[in-house]
Amino acid sequence: MVSRGKTLSCFGKIALAVWALLASGAAFADTPSPDTMARRIDTLLAERLAHEGVTPAPLADDSTYLRRATLDLTGTLPSVFEVREFLADDQPDKRTKLVERLLASPSHPTHLANTWRRIMLPTDASLEQIQSVVGVQNWLRRQFAENNRYDNLVADLLVATGADASGPALFYTAYGLEPEKLAANTSRIFLGTQIQCAECHDHPFDHWTQQDFWAYAAFFARLSEAPGQMGMGARLIDLPRGEVTLPDTENVVLPQYPGAVSKVDELGGSRRRQLAIWMASRDNPYLPRAAVNWAWAHIFGRGLSHPWDDMGQHNPSSHPQLLEELADYFVAIRFDLRQLLATLARTEAYQRSSAVESEDAFEPELFARMALKTLTAEQLYDSLAGITGRPSSGMVGNLESPLLDPRRQQFVLAMQSQTQDATDYDAGLPQALHLMNGPEMVEATDPARCRLLRSLEAPFFTDRERIEILFLATLSRYPREEEFARCLEFIPESGPPEERAQGMSDILWALLNSAEFTLNH
Amino acid sequence: MSNTNANASAPAKWTRRDWLRWSGYGMWGASSCAWLPELARCWAQSPQRKRHCILLWMAGGPSQTDTFDMKPNHANGGEFEEIATSVPGLRISEHLPKLAQQADQLAILRGVQTKEGDHGRGTYLMRTGHAPGGPVRYPTLGSLISKELGEPDAALPNYVSVSPRQLFNPAAFSPGFLGPRYAAVTVGAREADATASSSFAQLGVDHLQLPQGVADTRADRRLDLWNGLQQPFLARHAVSAPQAQDTAYRRAVKMMHSDAAAAFDLSREPEEVREAYGRGVFGQGCLIARRLIERGVPFVEVTLGGFEDNAIGWDTHQDNFATVRRLSTQLDNGWGTLMSDLRDRGLLQDTTILWMGEFGRTPRINDNAGRDHFPNAWSCVLAGGGIQGGQAYGQTSEDGMEVVDGKVEVGDILSTLCLALGIDPYQENQTDIGRPIAIAEGTPISSVLA
Repeated sequence: MVSRGKTLSCFGKIALAVWALLASGAAFADTPSPDTMARRIDTLLAERLAHEGVTPAPLADDSTYLRRATLDLTGTLPSVFEVREFLADDQPDKRTKLVERLLASPSHPTHLANTWRRIMLPTDASLEQIQSVVGVQNWLRRQFAENNRYDNLVADLLVATGADASGPALFYTAYGLEPEKLAANTSRIFLGTQIQCAECHDHPFDHWTQQDFWAYAAFFARLSEAPGQMGMGARLIDLPRGEVTLPDTENVVLPQYPGAVSKVDELGGSRRRQLAIWMASRDNPYLPRAAVNWAWAHIFGRGLSHPWDDMGQHNPSSHPQLLEELADYFVAIRFDLRQLLATLARTEAYQRSSAVESEDAFEPELFARMALKTLTAEQLYDSLAGITGRPSSGMVGNLESPLLDPRRQQFVLAMQSQTQDATDYDAGLPQALHLMNGPEMVEATDPARCRLLRSLEAPFFTDRERIEILFLATLSRYPREEEFARCLEFIPESGPPEERAQGMSDILWALLNSAEFTLNH
Repeated sequence: MSNTNANASAPAKWTRRDWLRWSGYGMWGASSCAWLPELARCWAQSPQRKRHCILLWMAGGPSQTDTFDMKPNHANGGEFEEIATSVPGLRISEHLPKLAQQADQLAILRGVQTKEGDHGRGTYLMRTGHAPGGPVRYPTLGSLISKELGEPDAALPNYVSVSPRQLFNPAAFSPGFLGPRYAAVTVGAREADATASSSFAQLGVDHLQLPQGVADTRADRRLDLWNGLQQPFLARHAVSAPQAQDTAYRRAVKMMHSDAAAAFDLSREPEEVREAYGRGVFGQGCLIARRLIERGVPFVEVTLGGFEDNAIGWDTHQDNFATVRRLSTQLDNGWGTLMSDLRDRGLLQDTTILWMGEFGRTPRINDNAGRDHFPNAWSCVLAGGGIQGGQAYGQTSEDGMEVVDGKVEVGDILSTLCLALGIDPYQENQTDIGRPIAIAEGTPISSVLA
């Protein structure tokens, strides 16, 4: 365990200098390797399972693991080639290598940016805001692509001024620059704490008081939008004055770090800068805890505290010791999000099968088996588009982004889940109709337009190979013998070419609409 | 109120008569609200009160001065004349004759006051009951109501929306935090079939029809193969997510195969009936609404404005009178025929209708013979079952610029609608972070409730 000193870490250039000094010291000499940490996680989970008398599920097969890791770390499906290669690989460390490859791929930062954009932005942004949404996305993707330390990322966001297509200013303007909304959301996202209940009264379940809430909100009291930037996207500035008051009173509340004793230095730069420094400092125990809880939820489908962004006394963790050690580990590896994800992905817990024969036997908080996660609307669209071979792209002015693709926007709008819980499936009749008969499925199963189906026309494939490819491309596994037999009926050898093309389209349709395709299992 | 406790202990004894007596003062003040939730719950539990709902959505913001709150003796009044209705003393626009004949069904709210004068923001406010911009994704009215009134496995969807015009603010049409399964199944305009002899607007359910080139037999074979993939996966994964996916698909398949889907087939209606509703998208949409209500669909929404020859809808910044006249005729044919048809079938008493747009329009006529956005004093209309028709509730000043009596806000209207439908407006849904949000906030307008 790493001891928590009083050392203040900083951000930007200062941080580099401070961390260079610290890193050379003894504090990190015993930082566990990802492998050691992964085993430690499994040990702690196993202790709890033994205590509860629950037998963990066996490890998942390679196909399942490949599909799962690829979806969780890059947001998309593995290609047919990747599945074949991975299944044929007989190296014992191939799962570890896979995780490394996935985390280094360009899809990884894109997927994390998609994920974090959804966490950060309040509502389905309106059309006028779409450029700013792309700004948030691009900014996040850059952070993740460079693997910017997580504490720096948060600090950089907290002092952001950047507008339009490159900056995250929408995070502030989308909440109307209102201190109470920014307080509620930054504390939820970066501290894992729902202090907004304390906006109007002392928190009913936790120790936050109304005074605490407004003292935290005071850090955003001087935020403003630069004038004369119409049409250019917002640029944020910090005014020299501005205060918050307790509701229905004239009582000014001065800024104070949540749960901390250290004083705010009014001469140390803008209030946002003060908050940024504290946020990334070792005085703030909430930041690493919230981050590892998010990462755990991203990988395992639910947090060690669940939901991941509502931690506190009222919502005890299922594995407090594990949460604590993982947070320390995250600090020790210098807030390296990529390494944190790599560590979680190589645990045995992450490799377990998700199969379960009765819901009664399923206690999700024990992590005895893998959770089933529903593909997000974006994952689903991108997977279908990948099979179709249709690139997602759209332009607004000079700005180009998959987010601006009108067809992708329509699909996401219709399908988007509203739950934070990835293990929920909250779509229904309208979405099922859309998926079965909508334009995306029609195109994906059109022998003339779908890249995958066109590729099957090559004369050197046998029909068994064709069926195999359809399964590998969608479910990332080989068909079972009975599935071969059933599918072969759809493409009679002596049938006319149109009938055979139709048959292959029908097989693909059934695969793409299956629960096995729509869920990450 | 002193007898809060007494009422709370015996809520079932509250009758409609008691309730009307208590509420004889028009609207409840904020101070008398304590016992209201109890009463609302008790009333909502009564099985007879469950009604269907039709929302007639006026995209662009309709002019109250040229429809339901005329100012014939003022310069702001404009070109149109008032006409008498079936209710003595109640007068509306000359271009709404069918509605005038059925004014006994209408409760015109003339004192609506809101704060959003932008299309996107106003649309969100009126359709969700909340101003936009906060962290909560508020559900649209149809999702809220159909969740309460609908059956989860009905053959027809619980929420159908005909030609929604989502451009101003897509979030205002979304099921919000309730989740996508509570979204509307939408009915859209289709390209007219070249072989069709009629000139009626062609409407079809989005994504209900099999794609071109997929015959029924092929679809069945495909589904059979799908079923073969589903079963073993579901058996191996006995948790809720795959079950929920399977349920959604099976319900969609049921609807595709169901005779109930014939509800959307207007070719089964006599030509003269289709004609009476009006040939446009709105009129034909109202006819679909009637067919759906007949088959028990709890919430149907029909939009007027924003298609065919009228891309701007009711947004009449210019040339207000010609546009409003044309729209009024469509409105009157569609809505008027819908009400008389429902009445003939004995269904009007079970169906509550709400007519509204995102805001009203300036009483003052601008230099382009148009009227601009005006949320300060405008009109909405409640009609049909559960509504005390034949009245105008509230009043605006002579020039129409101010509400002088019976001011209501969106929450008041929506909670009134809930009670008329037999829903407890104070019942709460949970957001994804467990925050409880009432279906509607505000104070029901008791004198509008039957």
